[in-house]
Amino acid sequence: METKINWESKFDKALARAKEEKKSVLLDFFNPG
Amino acid sequence: MDAVTYPEPNVIKFLNQNFIPLRVPFDTKPLATDFNVTWTPTLITLSADGKEHHRTVGFLGPEELVASLLLGLGKLFFDNEKFNEALKHLDKLLSDYAKSDSAPEAIYLRGVCRYKNTHDPKPLKEGYEKLQAEYPSSEWTKRAYPYRLL
Repeated sequence: METKINWESKFDKALARAKEEKKSVLLDFFNPG
Repeated sequence: MDAVTYPEPNVIKFLNQNFIPLRVPFDTKPLATDFNVTWTPTLITLSADGKEHHRTVGFLGPEELVASLLLGLGKLFFDNEKFNEALKHLDKLLSDYAKSDSAPEAIYLRGVCRYKNTHDPKPLKEGYEKLQAEYPSSEWTKRAYPYRLL
């Protein structure tokens, strides 16, 4: 069982993976503090 | 989100199974400008071509986040006229997260998806009646108000 979210940090890479894996993207703009 | 929502096992499982999760600081250029981001957290559901389909701003607890993401997937498939796929996610939202803040919009959109599938206006009226019975103060009940006459 996975214990953490596998965040991507690059927009283009996330879209490429989404196409390849036939998934959607959740884009989270956050404040790193 | 980091302290409460993202460590939750159900959230981890749901996100990793259904999405490519992408996280960037709010001042990342040109992305933040392209998506007109002015506050955090801003959470956006995108299709693989980068198109936006759903957005929330502000903290969401674990259950509200999963419900909102199911709504986002429903809207994504609705926008692409894949109404059966949209219904699958909306039905899941309404069966597992019926008390969530996303439920009224899901009821509205479910009625529209069923109408689009069949061209029978009955699901629009049923959606309004369910909204009126369960969420009389919701903005989605007001938006569905004309359907009472169908």
